[in-house]
Amino acid sequence: MDWTLNLLLLTLLLATAIAVIRIRDLLAAAIVFSAYSLVMAILWTQLRAPDLALTEAAVGAGVTTVLFIITIYRTVRKED
Amino acid sequence: MRKAIMLLALAGIGVMLIYAVGEMPPMGDSGNPDKTHVAPRYLEHGEEEAGASNVVTAVILNYRGYDTMGEVAVIFCALCAVVAVLGREKTGLSRTHMDVSRVKASVVVRTTVRFLVPVIIFFAIYIILHGEETPGGGFQGGAIIGASIILFTLAFGLPESTRKIPLKSRVPLESFAVIAFLAAGFTGILFGANFLTYIMPGLSEHAAETIRQVMMMVIEIGIGFAGGIIFTSIMFAMIREDKYELQPDSS
Amino acid sequence: MNFSRIAHNLNYVFSVVLFLLGLYTIAVKPNLVKKIMGLNIMETSVFLFMVSIGMVGSGNAPVVTEGVKPATMVNPIPQALILTGIVVAVSTTAVALSLCIRIHEHYDSLNAFEILGRDELF
Repeated sequence: MDWTLNLLLLTLLLATAIAVIRIRDLLAAAIVFSAYSLVMAILWTQLRAPDLALTEAAVGAGVTTVLFIITIYRTVRKED
Repeated sequence: MRKAIMLLALAGIGVMLIYAVGEMPPMGDSGNPDKTHVAPRYLEHGEEEAGASNVVTAVILNYRGYDTMGEVAVIFCALCAVVAVLGREKTGLSRTHMDVSRVKASVVVRTTVRFLVPVIIFFAIYIILHGEETPGGGFQGGAIIGASIILFTLAFGLPESTRKIPLKSRVPLESFAVIAFLAAGFTGILFGANFLTYIMPGLSEHAAETIRQVMMMVIEIGIGFAGGIIFTSIMFAMIREDKYELQPDSS
Repeated sequence: MNFSRIAHNLNYVFSVVLFLLGLYTIAVKPNLVKKIMGLNIMETSVFLFMVSIGMVGSGNAPVVTEGVKPATMVNPIPQALILTGIVVAVSTTAVALSLCIRIHEHYDSLNAFEILGRDELF
């Protein structure tokens, strides 16, 4: 396991998480959330969990993001 | 005010959790407590006991089969809850916002999706059927199937998608995972073993091995296809919009 | 506090921070969809924590192959638990989002305080 790459991915994870929370446009937040899931999928391969990487890439970046976008489309786009 | 109280509480929780992290054994050490009891047994005997070289699949299907059965029921209940809250899409009548939008998906997007989706579904079937030897299995393949159908719907719209995968072919597939699990469980009882046990005492070794492989394959296929179809149905139910239902078909 | 250990267990520290971020979002942000995003971040942090516990430095994926000793493989049990956990997380997200759609149809708002009709929870 490469500890430098691990630290880099964790930092990226934290940065995307903060971006999801700070961005007030919900559609942009949903897209950043999909980036968060992709970083998580790469981190799973670093942690020697290929099964989790497959599932997270399909579910986190695909299904969850599309569900968020559909909800934002049918409700409001701006926060508060 | 609310923010200040919350930040104070979070600081308290954070200090406690970080203190607990300081007491944890160093990460990545092969002598840690989690690797001394059950895990070596699973890793050393998983292949002969469960019949799967991928130990994660062995744990999911064999050692912790009850857990997975309950989990499959949870996904099915989630679909039931979504359909109860929002209702099914109505075939032939539904016109959604996404379909009446003036910007149609471009030819490049539609051609790419039309070529990609069969390849993705083929890959998902490989993942499902080969899950015992390589990374993969029912949940992974099911998620990939669901994502591919979502990709198709985003490019072509809901009416085209529901024409390709109509409601009456989805309904029996949605409950397939739970049924496959129960069938495999009761097969064990039929041959004189316990529920969801794959070791048959009354049979010869070869016959028991064959039955076990078939049962695991049926469960994997059940979880895979039911998972994908359940994700698809949840998305279809969420896209549907009532107010556009009765508009005449203008195309 | 054992600071050298905290520095070595970086994955645990980051999952704690992500957990706190998610909890903050759920408690403070008024928008319901934002709260669900925070819930997802919290779930992922717990997943990261559990899989990191089973990690072995310079280990191998838990697939039995020739020439790989079982002692060098990572722990498969957290991975199996988290695999089901990820799928359950999507299911709960789907139910929560469909409830959000219904709430918006009824109240014409996704702001928790507007729906409650008051400004402060306490």
